[in-house]
Amino acid sequence: MSGKMNYLEELEKSMLWLAEKNDTIFLGQGIKCGGIGMAETFKKIQPEKVFEMPIAENLQLGMCTGLSLNGFVPISVYPRWNFLLLAADQLVNHLDKLSIMSDGAYKPKVIIRVAVGVREPIDPQEQHVGDFSDGFAAMLKTVNVVKLTVAEEIFPAYKYAYERTDGVSTILVEQHQA
Amino acid sequence: MDTGLTKEQLHQFELEIVELFKNNQISSPIHLRSGNEEKLIDLFKSISQEDYCLFTWASHLECLLKGVPSEEVKAAILRNKSIALCFKDQKIISSAIVGGNAPIAVGLAMSIKLKKETNHVWCFIGDMAFYTGIVQEAIRYSEVHDLPITFVVADNKISILTPTREFWGNYIVDAAKKSSKCIYYEYKNGFPHVGIGGKAML
Repeated sequence: MSGKMNYLEELEKSMLWLAEKNDTIFLGQGIKCGGIGMAETFKKIQPEKVFEMPIAENLQLGMCTGLSLNGFVPISVYPRWNFLLLAADQLVNHLDKLSIMSDGAYKPKVIIRVAVGVREPIDPQEQHVGDFSDGFAAMLKTVNVVKLTVAEEIFPAYKYAYERTDGVSTILVEQHQA
Repeated sequence: MDTGLTKEQLHQFELEIVELFKNNQISSPIHLRSGNEEKLIDLFKSISQEDYCLFTWASHLECLLKGVPSEEVKAAILRNKSIALCFKDQKIISSAIVGGNAPIAVGLAMSIKLKKETNHVWCFIGDMAFYTGIVQEAIRYSEVHDLPITFVVADNKISILTPTREFWGNYIVDAAKKSSKCIYYEYKNGFPHVGIGGKAML
């Protein structure tokens, strides 16, 4: 079964598992102050690991790249793919390219959590339901894009994104349809 | 740190790169600087080996002053890395995207603060970059959260061939000087933006 509660529970379980690691840190708007659906999945995490951000998507992702270069594994949270579009420069030109630019010397590992808006129970309208996973997967040379369509995929995907030792960053896309 | 490099030695390095470019030994764009050597030499006396430096697409001189041996810088340029030089041993990251180095610099500064380390981050930007939204966000965030970072604003009043002040006015002088996180200086680049053999060069 991959019902709504199960999907949300797997997300919460994944966030809590990540939060147990000494080197993880969470950044995003609404993840501490609330107001977004994802906020529920951060409620049980120790507050010193959760950094509320202003609306500054590109700044946030670049900061995560910088944090990763000095030993952190940041989880950069975006409630909508449409919002992550605003971080395209840091995603495509920087996070994706640093290992190439530096001949493999720098391997920033960032975990990006993003969701595709759902049409039910209320329709968030066109600017909040975009899914650019395939387009970005085609554009990115090093960053992986992973679609999370069912609950069973969630925890293993986050575990792998964190434990992988090749320095590759991962975008985990919540595509759960209610 | 003080590498002992002189203004003349720095300029000579750029002239050597010009010759390599003219002889078609470099097959990618290069961006050269002169006129700011003394400012940079003085500035790097405040920068330690352990500090992170985030440079731009024109960073040959800065890499030399951060301690990268000239032969290594030259080798990287010959590998067509001139506009995005990265040297991990010297904690150097460069970006050829205007303002693209700023948020990474802020993240590094945040990491230093969280880990209670004592080093510092230096983010080098130009006048047109200063006005971009991403740089303004980076400076503002660094000020509010008092991060260990300094933005070095080098104002040569031009971006490629576009006069910055025609579009943004003179705001940069007051804004950069008032910021607790900025160092500001002006200079005139001695290398014009020209094309050699059909290849762009600044």
